[in-house]
Amino acid sequence: MAVLLLISVFLIAACGLVYELLAGTLASYLLGDSVLQFSTVIGSYLFAMGIGSFLSKYVGRGLVTRFILIELMVGLVGGLSSTILFLAFAYTEGFRFLLYALVILIGTLVGLEIPLMMRILQDRFEFRDLVAQVLTFDYLGALGASLIFPLWLVPQLGLVRGALFFGLVNAAVALWTTHLFRDRVGALTRLRVLCFAVMGVLGIGMLYANTVLDLADSALYADEVILARNTRYQRIVLTKWKDDLRLFLNSHLQFSSRDEHRYHEALVHPGLAAVAGARRALVLGGGDGLAVREMLKYPGLESITLVDLDAGMTELFATHPLLRGINKGSLTAPKVKVINADAFVWLEGHDGVYDFIVIDFPDPTNFSLGKLYTTAFYRLLKHHLSEGGLAVAQSTSPLFARQSFWCVAETMKAAGLQVFPYHAYVPSFGEWGFIMASKHGYEPPASLPSGLRFLTVSMVPDLFRFPADMGPVEAQPNRLNDQILVRYYEREWREIAR
Amino acid sequence: MSANGVKSLASRRAFLLQLAPKTERRIEGAILDDSHLRGHRLRDGQMRGGLREPRKAPLVIVGGGIAGLCAGWRLLQKGFRDFVILEMEKQAGGNSRWGENEVSAYPWAAHYLPVPNRGSKLVRELCTELGLLYEGEFEERHLCHSPQERLFLHGRWQEGLEPEVGLQKADREQFQRFAGLMQEQAASGQYTVPWEPGAKASALDRMSMDDWLREKGFDSPYLRWYVEYGCRDDYGSLAKDTSAWAGVHYFAAREHEDRGPLTWPEGNGWIVKQLLKKLAPHVVAGAMVTQVAIGARGVRVLTETNDWESKGVIWAAPSYLLRYVMEGAPDTSGIIYSPWITANLTLDRMPRQAGTEFAWDNVIYDSPALGYVVATHQSLRTRIDESVWTWYYPLAAVAPAEGRKQLLARDWAWWREFILNDIGKAHRDIRQCVRRIDLMRFGHAMARPAPGWMFSPARAALAKWGGRMVLANSDLSGLSIFEEAQYRGVGAAERILRVV
Ligand SMILES: Cc1cc2nc3c(=O)[nH]c(=O)nc-3n(C[C@H](O)[C@H](O)[C@H](O)COP(=O)(O)OP(=O)(O)OC[C@H]3O[C@@H](n4cnc5c(N)ncnc54)[C@H](O)[C@@H]3O)c2cc1C
Repeated sequence: MAVLLLISVFLIAACGLVYELLAGTLASYLLGDSVLQFSTVIGSYLFAMGIGSFLSKYVGRGLVTRFILIELMVGLVGGLSSTILFLAFAYTEGFRFLLYALVILIGTLVGLEIPLMMRILQDRFEFRDLVAQVLTFDYLGALGASLIFPLWLVPQLGLVRGALFFGLVNAAVALWTTHLFRDRVGALTRLRVLCFAVMGVLGIGMLYANTVLDLADSALYADEVILARNTRYQRIVLTKWKDDLRLFLNSHLQFSSRDEHRYHEALVHPGLAAVAGARRALVLGGGDGLAVREMLKYPGLESITLVDLDAGMTELFATHPLLRGINKGSLTAPKVKVINADAFVWLEGHDGVYDFIVIDFPDPTNFSLGKLYTTAFYRLLKHHLSEGGLAVAQSTSPLFARQSFWCVAETMKAAGLQVFPYHAYVPSFGEWGFIMASKHGYEPPASLPSGLRFLTVSMVPDLFRFPADMGPVEAQPNRLNDQILVRYYEREWREIAR
Repeated sequence: MSANGVKSLASRRAFLLQLAPKTERRIEGAILDDSHLRGHRLRDGQMRGGLREPRKAPLVIVGGGIAGLCAGWRLLQKGFRDFVILEMEKQAGGNSRWGENEVSAYPWAAHYLPVPNRGSKLVRELCTELGLLYEGEFEERHLCHSPQERLFLHGRWQEGLEPEVGLQKADREQFQRFAGLMQEQAASGQYTVPWEPGAKASALDRMSMDDWLREKGFDSPYLRWYVEYGCRDDYGSLAKDTSAWAGVHYFAAREHEDRGPLTWPEGNGWIVKQLLKKLAPHVVAGAMVTQVAIGARGVRVLTETNDWESKGVIWAAPSYLLRYVMEGAPDTSGIIYSPWITANLTLDRMPRQAGTEFAWDNVIYDSPALGYVVATHQSLRTRIDESVWTWYYPLAAVAPAEGRKQLLARDWAWWREFILNDIGKAHRDIRQCVRRIDLMRFGHAMARPAPGWMFSPARAALAKWGGRMVLANSDLSGLSIFEEAQYRGVGAAERILRVV
């Protein structure tokens, strides 16, 4: 039996450490500053264990029963700790308070476990063996937990289910103890019912862990989440803070309603206003309809075709009242035709020629997206551009990803286009870059549509001037068979993130 | 109930479904070749009585693989149009055949053409004609897209096939020294593609690649794996069964000026398709040649249904078959053929993986197989859901005859398990992704450059053999790649034109 109890020591030690690690991880995940979070969490946890050890001297008779009850409490509180913290972060202001309260509570309970266990075992060992054995298994459990935590628990179970799982382990130890001491504890049935009740609660928690995560999703965004939707291709999240609506695609900020006008005016007008008599326009990507909204300011345009991969996205922006408010219902305007297709493949299968083409794809974060920034793509694009037409592409930030930006320019050049790179300042993005491309030169427009909030005719030429720290740098063209751009991009943004 | 309520109820139910024990999903598929029947067909065809319809063609090409098709390509270039290509299978292509299903086209064997060096005139000529090479540059759509290759080593994927994870300093030094030696060899200029024009008889050919590595003091397990992989990949043989000259050729013959190779969803089937655009009227498919009789004034070529009378024949089918179809056949017993099996797996979705992207060629370090090639990799889509993977396995560890026995003895279910366990080393959820596995067995897949064979008089004699009939299959080269098949086919066409 002594051996079995030592195994219990191992398990409860592992559980104890897991809760501590969970709290630290969650805190650094949600609050940032991992050094501070881990130090304070570990500190308070160890301190609380001290309190627990101290309190253990007040536990007199009924040692085993008390031990079982404490196990159940640890299981319940520890097991639900991640859930409670996630929800607290999402719905209350009291995350920090709850965090430390839980850490202290769990720490105190865990601090009680080992002294009680030692006393339960004291008749079976010499004192010096007792201390050696119990502490050995205690530390072994800690080692086990510290390995299991990063390698299995976090990647496989996640934080919410992981905590619940170890809660179940605590409860199982309690149940098992009732069995080991079946002839020494009273009210056996009651204790066991309690064990099953705790296990039931934790089990139900496991079933609903996904719902908890959905509920807590809003926690990951700074502002109130007013809409979250998974389409076939991406997760769309819309947040709101006062009058600022923000759209995130797969957690990447797409626009903020406060300054998106800067981005979209800069994307559309320097080009479109400069094409005399433009009649047919094409938008690739840009399923939010914001570029189209700007293009609808040109009555001369006869048709606008928008090709976006994600039907979920274009539908949402065509129908949701708030979003229609931002894009002024552009996606349902009579001139506008929305097509849901993969842009490269679509261009390949059609032969339309356009006077103005907007390319508003996600940044080249991987080789799949990188295909949309290759010489092969721009060569195809050239076939779809009318002789006097202009194409413009969002091309990441010339400040943060300078070589990536100039790589896009280089790639268009290699595809036989003339390029005219420019940039604009969009506060929520920073300095942002665009590349205008044509077959025969470019002259800034003589006039702009009325009612613009950012651009003026006289400032357009300035957009094409680059300060020294954003100016041209050497870069290779990006080809399908050698996607150098993805490598530039990855390196440059990694350096920023550091 | 509010829309939200309904939704969350639905998602809860979906979650409960996920909790149900995973049922092993049903995987369909079959062994698609009938190679075990081929021998019988050959014999039965020979025994069939005289009910064959007589036909005439000044020139008959037997075998519609790359060699046969390239022979036809050259004939057309020379303005010679009176020929037929007799192909046993329903579809031409041989080892460059392809398949097609609702998801993608895919190769059955040959899947790429290395970017040809400037010196490889013949291949470049074909590339130019097919629009692959334009003003000295290869069209990037036909070049393998990024990322090209990756290796599953020590539990994670790394870019490129040259092992990088877990190497000690000594390993790295050996890789460097190896690369240096290969550069030296390349600089000698004798490693050309095709190989015969540039080669000088070499002592290297008499030893095995394995012996050569040992002699040069290469003992890094990673380097050995790398070289071993090269031999298995190109020749279907282990380094100990491969001529050191051929082993070096694999590493020293390519300049790699453009990032390649050239590849297509259907592999080299793409090239076959292009060749067929011109050659289709000449191809008679489903025509297995069972007998050849060379006379003083011409050659009779018998299929199961026809009796062709011709002035000359190009034998572009595998050379070992000659002994079954004719009297006085040249001695082909020196050619050793490697047995292979390939599989095409149709996937509902790609396996889940974090932090890395699927490459075109995906290799698993601890595997007797060669990994898998993703047929949808060359797609221009940004998002791939369904896919087809081609899995390659040369039975190199056992003697070829034993390998052929294993090929016949193991049934589809055995291979299914073998393949899924093999890929499962890198993709734990592969069984949830695959809906179909089709297999193709190649008993005599490719000629192997066994030590001593390439520079042997026996091989040279075989390559020159002929009069009214000349040989063209790539197996005459001792190593089986597209360029050799083309070289043999074109050479045969030029020789036979002097006769007919
Ligand atoms: C698994 C595998 C992978 C490969 N991968 C590559 C690769 O990626 N790149 C590369 O360059 N090379 C590759 N190869 C090498 C490939 O063999 C050559 O590229 C080339 O296709 C060989 O062409 P061939 O015409 O010489 O021979 P084969 O392709 O063998 O052609 C012979 C033809 O003759 C027909 N035939 C046979 N008997 C008869 C008969 N009695 N009557 C009529 N017709 C008959 C056959 O059906 C076949 O069509 C691979 C080979 C294998 C087996």
